[in-house]
Amino acid sequence: MASNVVVVLDNGGGLIKAGIGGERDPTAVVPNCTARPLSSKKFLLADQLLSPTEDLTSAVLRRPFDRGYLINHDLQSTIWSHIFSSLLHITPSSSSLLLTEPLFNLPSIQRATDEIVFEEFNFKSLFVSDSPSLVHLYEASRRPYDVVSKAQCSLVVDVGFSFTHAAPVFQNFTVNYGVKRMDLGGKALTNYLKELVSYRSINVMDETFLMDDVKEKLCFVSTDVARDLQIARRRGSDNYFRCTYVLPDGITHTKGFIKDPVEAQRFLKLSEDGELPHSEGTEEADQTEVKSKPSERNKVDLTKNEFSLSNERFLVPEMIFRPADLGMNQAGLAECIVRAVNSCHPHLHPVLYESIILTGGSTLFPGFAKRLENELRPLVPDVYQVKITTQEDPILGVWRGGSLLASSDSFISSYLEGKD
Amino acid sequence: MDDDVSNSLRRMSTRARKVAPKMVAALASTDNRTQAILARLEALENDNPGAEVVEPNDDDDASLDEDDDQVYHKKQSKGTKRKTRQAKALETAKKAPRTFLELLHDANLESLPPHVPSYLRAAVGPPSSTCRRHFCTVCGFSAKYTCVRCGMRFCAARCQNIHNDTRCLKFVA
Ligand SMILES: [Zn+2]
Ligand SMILES: [Zn+2]
Repeated sequence: MASNVVVVLDNGGGLIKAGIGGERDPTAVVPNCTARPLSSKKFLLADQLLSPTEDLTSAVLRRPFDRGYLINHDLQSTIWSHIFSSLLHITPSSSSLLLTEPLFNLPSIQRATDEIVFEEFNFKSLFVSDSPSLVHLYEASRRPYDVVSKAQCSLVVDVGFSFTHAAPVFQNFTVNYGVKRMDLGGKALTNYLKELVSYRSINVMDETFLMDDVKEKLCFVSTDVARDLQIARRRGSDNYFRCTYVLPDGITHTKGFIKDPVEAQRFLKLSEDGELPHSEGTEEADQTEVKSKPSERNKVDLTKNEFSLSNERFLVPEMIFRPADLGMNQAGLAECIVRAVNSCHPHLHPVLYESIILTGGSTLFPGFAKRLENELRPLVPDVYQVKITTQEDPILGVWRGGSLLASSDSFISSYLEGKD
Repeated sequence: MDDDVSNSLRRMSTRARKVAPKMVAALASTDNRTQAILARLEALENDNPGAEVVEPNDDDDASLDEDDDQVYHKKQSKGTKRKTRQAKALETAKKAPRTFLELLHDANLESLPPHVPSYLRAAVGPPSSTCRRHFCTVCGFSAKYTCVRCGMRFCAARCQNIHNDTRCLKFVA
């Protein structure tokens, strides 16, 4: 029935995930911002920014979010309006809205949000939810025999765009007094990477879109920082982390790209002692030839705009684990989790440690879960099991939980039918 | 953030308002190292660090026209040149969305009883261990030395020179 359409909107500071309740995936996953390319007077928004031909070099950015909270409702409603009409093709006045809001949202922001939902868009009804409870709901439904659903309890670790939360969920509700927040997320990581590259090779301070791409494709979490720093010091092809990223030239390509993807992925094959396996089709006899080639390849071509990365690839995500080492007076992720657990009833501690769920785009760095486990294990009493699961899709997890909720019988009977 | 800071901020022009938080904090502290850390944190939140210098009004300029395509045109700033500075500042203050820190200040969460969970109480807080690994702020490798002026780390004379030339006590990136 058309009148029962529930629009599910996971309104993130970085990305909006929007679609129709009951479907597996959102219809739109688009940046929650507008940007004006240098060569243009027009501000592009949402999906327009994803066009592969759009040159976003030095584009000026505006976001409706500041530090994880919605501050510019005018801009937000313009972006929503575009999404509702051009991407979802829905009529708000005959739909209900399931909206995510950040934990501890301020009352003034909630009022302003209600206002645009009802007065500007005229939605039939609004149901507001938070990320941890939706992630829990989704995981519990996927793993009916797991401790997550049996104990109705989990610890959702959401490394988002503006901040990171460790949030205990109990009986499908986020336990607010147990939530701990680090003021660090994907945005700070991108900006940190911008700083490092700008100081060390080429000025990319205004290249948010480009550096997001570099971060997503090249950064990883080290499981042994001291060892990896040693490797990153080496010259030539023995430096398994060195790789080159080519900047767009605005003529032949409008997007940046990794110069040699095979070289960039070498680190994934490193053994515990930090060496590469010898096989890989390079026989001993070929060693000399192989060695000379990559070192030439590693030379930065100054006629092209490109830069090389090495220790930056793992020092950037390192900030999530040890913010203090990088000048921020905050505990790292493992300690954040321990503090969240400790603020709950001791009966819950073993269950929470056994049901840690990682979500949010920044958990996608290779090595993330393993490093977290290495750091967390020594902080947790030996008798408790530590079990960390990364969501199958950490970017869409919240939305999928919302979609599931929106199509559940109890939701329909209590929030949709009950309203009339 | 205290009362004086946030109230005075709202009366300033866009440009001043954007740079102000870190400058106010920097001026309030007598310690170069604190200033350097504050400036650094501020920088990690900024989307358009370069644009701030070149086109100061851009980011907060809410005076945008909407066309049928739901795409924005940037209004030419020429028209506003004729207005007095004060009128312009007033206009900007009205239109510019307030920052989260301003909204947070207005919410007065400090007045909540201690058992009520809030944004402020959810902050993870400082690390329990005071051990730090030190990375060179220039090249990223282990750093033994600390700059006596700003407290940033460097590993060797080469990186020290780069530090002194390009980033020591430079608060705006
Ligand atoms: Zn150095
Ligand atoms: Zn210095």
